[in-house]
Amino acid sequence: MNRASLHFLLAALVAIALPLFMRSGTLASEVLIFAMAAAACNLLLGYTGLLSFGQGIFFGLGSYAAGLTLLHTSLPLALALVLSAITGAVVATGVGWLSIRRQGVYFVMLTLAFSQFFYFLAYTFKDITGGDNGLLNIPRPAIGPFSLGESWAYYAFVAVLFLLLFAALQRVASSTFGRTLLAVRDNEERARAIGFPVRNFKITAFAISGAVTGLAGALHALLIGVAPLSNIDYHMSESILIMTIIGGTGNLFASVLGAGFYVIVSDLLSSIWPRWLLLLGGLLIVVALFMQKGLWGLLERLVEALPMGRKSSINSSIESPIQPESEGRGI
Amino acid sequence: MIYLFQLVNGIGLGMLYFLLAVGLSIIFGLLHFVNFAHGAFYLLGAYFVYDMTERGLNFWAALLVAPFIVAGLAALTESVLLRRIYHLPHTFHILVTVGLALMVQELVIILWGPVGGNVSTPGALSGVLMLGDFIYPQYRLFVIGLTLVLAIGLWWLLEGTRLGAVVRAGSESTDMVSLLGIDILRVNTAVFALGAGLAGLAGALAAPIRGVEPFMGVEALGIAFVVVVIGGMGSYTGALIAGLLVGIVQSIMTTLWPEGARLMIYLGMGLVILTMPRGLLGRA
Repeated sequence: MNRASLHFLLAALVAIALPLFMRSGTLASEVLIFAMAAAACNLLLGYTGLLSFGQGIFFGLGSYAAGLTLLHTSLPLALALVLSAITGAVVATGVGWLSIRRQGVYFVMLTLAFSQFFYFLAYTFKDITGGDNGLLNIPRPAIGPFSLGESWAYYAFVAVLFLLLFAALQRVASSTFGRTLLAVRDNEERARAIGFPVRNFKITAFAISGAVTGLAGALHALLIGVAPLSNIDYHMSESILIMTIIGGTGNLFASVLGAGFYVIVSDLLSSIWPRWLLLLGGLLIVVALFMQKGLWGLLERLVEALPMGRKSSINSSIESPIQPESEGRGI
Repeated sequence: MIYLFQLVNGIGLGMLYFLLAVGLSIIFGLLHFVNFAHGAFYLLGAYFVYDMTERGLNFWAALLVAPFIVAGLAALTESVLLRRIYHLPHTFHILVTVGLALMVQELVIILWGPVGGNVSTPGALSGVLMLGDFIYPQYRLFVIGLTLVLAIGLWWLLEGTRLGAVVRAGSESTDMVSLLGIDILRVNTAVFALGAGLAGLAGALAAPIRGVEPFMGVEALGIAFVVVVIGGMGSYTGALIAGLLVGIVQSIMTTLWPEGARLMIYLGMGLVILTMPRGLLGRA
């Protein structure tokens, strides 16, 4: 079995296992929704070397697009989801096109500034977005003959979409396009010199990432019945990025781990102690200092430590982009 | 008259943005380190002044002490933690400083609550200045005056002193500076503390104008990024011009379109990036 199939199998196992171990269908859906968003973020960070602080833009706009469509039109659910994916892709193309004009830290700062721009845009146009209150009472219509009203029925719908998108992202990552992204990540100058249209590749990666994130945002709005302002704010971008890095940027399944960890731990801790973000902040520092390959790296080490641990067969499909000895120009 | 009022307001705001951004800029120039915790130092500066004045301490004493406490905390953070991660890629710089910023924000909420509060304008400057038709709060004029003096002092520090020379040389080549027998580790700590202290001072000065709340750090970080993106990272003059520009645009827009004022800042940044990808005065 090759690595991609193994990772897909692991993702499918997660989707099947969540209902067995979790009592809340809402929380289980949230895990898979953020797993999509984190995997899309990983396509940029892990595969293209672009640290985007703007993923919340696409997530939030996806929420608004789906919410507005379902509130104001009688279009079917599937079309609302497609519209939110298109919204994510179009805006990500624009943000990507502008942001990649600068490299390294400037790029990161630009994506963060854009996330502020879209936050204030949503905040300013209260008539459309509902401002601080968000878009309320978003319906969750049936898809074909299947009612999605019950939380586990909705979970099943989310799980199917999650697996489809996961497989699609894996196809993208292993295609010639995906391989070229790795070349861009590892040595942009060389990729350019060979003759690859590096700019177009980066913008395409942004568009794909934006589409998946927009769809995830739409699914989230349908899940909670609201498209809140917090879906487009700084902390949404930050959370998606944190999930991605905590999981590890070596492969797409790592993002599923990262999202699962973040969503479940935040649910557990926030009910015990509302200021749990303090611990999260500490955890980020620990990850940076001691766990640079994230949870996936930890898992790898565990498997290798097992007596019958299969050597290397579980290794990540791509080398970690983040090598401590590099000079830090890799973003 | 309202535009003159907003113009002067904008200059005051812009000078605060300059203080905030120039710290970020010189830290990056010397250490090649993106400090996502910069907004947290601004937040701490504001809250220290809030806390001290709530306890009955004189505002001026609080204003003097708060930036130094912030700088001290920054020096400690730099020498205990950040020094260990300079060799790592930027991703980890961002991860660690985002973690720090989160911790500071949550600590602020734990210590002072989620709501925030107001810092009353110090008695001596609570009045207004009247020049014919032009009426202006004295405290805001004081902020403009003080930040101007500080801007000149900082320029002298960077251009006219030995420390400034080391900082500028270090921005070009850290190794070379080390080879000349200069203890670059101490310079790094000093510069980090200076940059953070300036952010803390900006927060302290802003507190009586805008009040304090736990999320002002995130907002300040966004603004500081806009200023350095427009002005060009590592450029003192760039930070000054861009800071003033952003402050004035925001102030004037507050009159024309209050809800959209902050939106316009980010729109302006987009325009600069489109036309001048390197910023107004940026190097490579």
